[in-house]
Amino acid sequence: MSNEAVEILLVEDSPDDVAFLVRTFNKANLTARLHVVADGKEALDYIFCTGDYATRNNGNQPKVIFLDMKMPKVGGLEVLRRLKSDPTTQSIPVVALSSSNEERDLIESYRYGVNSYIVKPMDFDQFAKTIRSMGQYWLELNQTPKL
Amino acid sequence: MQPEQQLKASLKEIGDLKAALDEHAIVAITDPRGRITYVNDKFCAISQYSRDELIGQDHRVINSGHHPKEFIQDLWSTIGRGKVWKGEIKNRAKDGSFYWVDTTIVPFLNDDGKPRQYIAIRADITERKRTEDQLRASFKEINDLKAALDEHAIVAITDPQGKITYVNDKFCAISKYSRGELIGQDHRVINSAHHPKEFIQGLWSTIGRGKVWKGEIKNRAKDGSFYWVDTTIVPFLNDDGKPRQYVAIRADITERKKAEEKVLQLNAQLEQRVAERTAELEAFSYSISHDLRAPLRAMGGFARMLQEDFGAELPPEASRLLERIHVNAMKMGLLIDGLLAFSRLSRQPLNKSKISPGAVVNRVLEELQSETEGRNVKITVGNLPACQADATLLHQVFMNLISNALKYSRRRDPAIIEIGSGEENGHCVYSIKDNGAGFEMKYAHNLFGVFQRLHRAEQFEGTGVGLAIVRRIIHRHGGRIWAVAEPEKGATFHFTLEGENNHV
Repeated sequence: MSNEAVEILLVEDSPDDVAFLVRTFNKANLTARLHVVADGKEALDYIFCTGDYATRNNGNQPKVIFLDMKMPKVGGLEVLRRLKSDPTTQSIPVVALSSSNEERDLIESYRYGVNSYIVKPMDFDQFAKTIRSMGQYWLELNQTPKL
Repeated sequence: MQPEQQLKASLKEIGDLKAALDEHAIVAITDPRGRITYVNDKFCAISQYSRDELIGQDHRVINSGHHPKEFIQDLWSTIGRGKVWKGEIKNRAKDGSFYWVDTTIVPFLNDDGKPRQYIAIRADITERKRTEDQLRASFKEINDLKAALDEHAIVAITDPQGKITYVNDKFCAISKYSRGELIGQDHRVINSAHHPKEFIQGLWSTIGRGKVWKGEIKNRAKDGSFYWVDTTIVPFLNDDGKPRQYVAIRADITERKKAEEKVLQLNAQLEQRVAERTAELEAFSYSISHDLRAPLRAMGGFARMLQEDFGAELPPEASRLLERIHVNAMKMGLLIDGLLAFSRLSRQPLNKSKISPGAVVNRVLEELQSETEGRNVKITVGNLPACQADATLLHQVFMNLISNALKYSRRRDPAIIEIGSGEENGHCVYSIKDNGAGFEMKYAHNLFGVFQRLHRAEQFEGTGVGLAIVRRIIHRHGGRIWAVAEPEKGATFHFTLEGENNHV
């Protein structure tokens, strides 16, 4: 595992969506420091430097986490809850990615402190545009406290 | 004393006795054939005949016809034999009214032992007879009432301590105890243990204070089965105001109680089932919204990527087919959205408040402004009375109906849309009228079904959910929606928000 600081952590279990997202970040020249994990458990291991990521330097946290909400085993909400309840990780911006705008998912996510909630657009062009502007906003414009 | 003087004294005494007797009694004397030879004043007074009208007559003049022949024969045979006769006789006075006399007839005999004359001494017992008759009538009425009550109700009487002193047949039948097993017991013998102590205490304290207690009691029969009785306990008091005895009258309501329990049970089951179905439906639509969209997005997305990355190398027909894949994936996405919006409507609670539909329509028109750009559209908004409705849902209704009107009048120049209201059966009817494509009325029944369309997608795009949503919203408000149309002339949609009992 690289110990270099990543800028974007993408938590997504669908290989199709990973393909779109990586392609989109690529096209926007945002892939340089993108790391992809395939489920919630791996996301938590990565962030808290446990399991397969035990040797990772936890001083290098991503500038933004794109988090798919619907994943098997450890879901997006659980990852969000763990991140936001830990003082060392709570200021990392989390952008929730969901297939739907179900009201209860939105309510739960904001209660746990999500920073942004995006419904993946059905239209590919729209999807790409959305992700591009999200990436630019969180990496280039948004400010977070220095850890 | 001289015999003459003695005679005089005796005569005076007899005269005194007669005067006293005349003062006290009704007296008549008849000859052996029964002809009246003497009546005193009281006889005249009670019979209302003058002495002249009576003397020489026999007693038939005051015969009431009440007594059987045998009665009269017995009287004559008794006094004819020289015996005293006593009895109660009903007579008829001159004015036709009746009176009763307690009668003693004493025959006085000749030396040869034959009756010489009869002296009848009578006392007026009319009042006593009337009281007796009334008593008898009251008693009979009470007996009738008791018989009717016993026929109808479960009856028990207890003493002040609650010991059973009387039960009727129905009490025995329902409790399955014999009368012998019940008399002397208190009601604990049929106690079901269903009611809390306070309930029983309340009962005793009420009747103990001389008040009537009413309530429903669950009892236990001898065989252990339970029965319910609607009970009224009436305390009867002594002269000192203390309960003398309690009369409990009960009606068997076991069947009604069973039915009530059944209804409660069914309601609980129904609620449970509704909750389950709602949860299932929620899980189902949640699953649709997540799991059906992801593969669609992938299909559309990969078609797009193929086009972007290899478009230049593909023959034009291949690019066209890729575009069709993309468009259809998008369309299916819209259908899923529509279905979800429709199913969400059933779960969402109604939030009614007083709404001004005019303001709602203005907002909708603003939101639809982009639809009218570059078109010649004339929209008029008439008077729209206020109503009780869910603001968000009413907005949805006007949004769907007005955007439909705009869509189907797209080929008109000018397109004319009129939004207004009228009244029907005291309810406000809102209407949205256009001069667009319209439809044939014979297909009107399909209009509000989910995914039902009356136009081909090439003519007018759409998913067939909009009007289904509108109808669901209006039904949930307790209203009604209907449409009137003619092909190529236009359509008018009317709806009410009240007056129908069609909760969905």
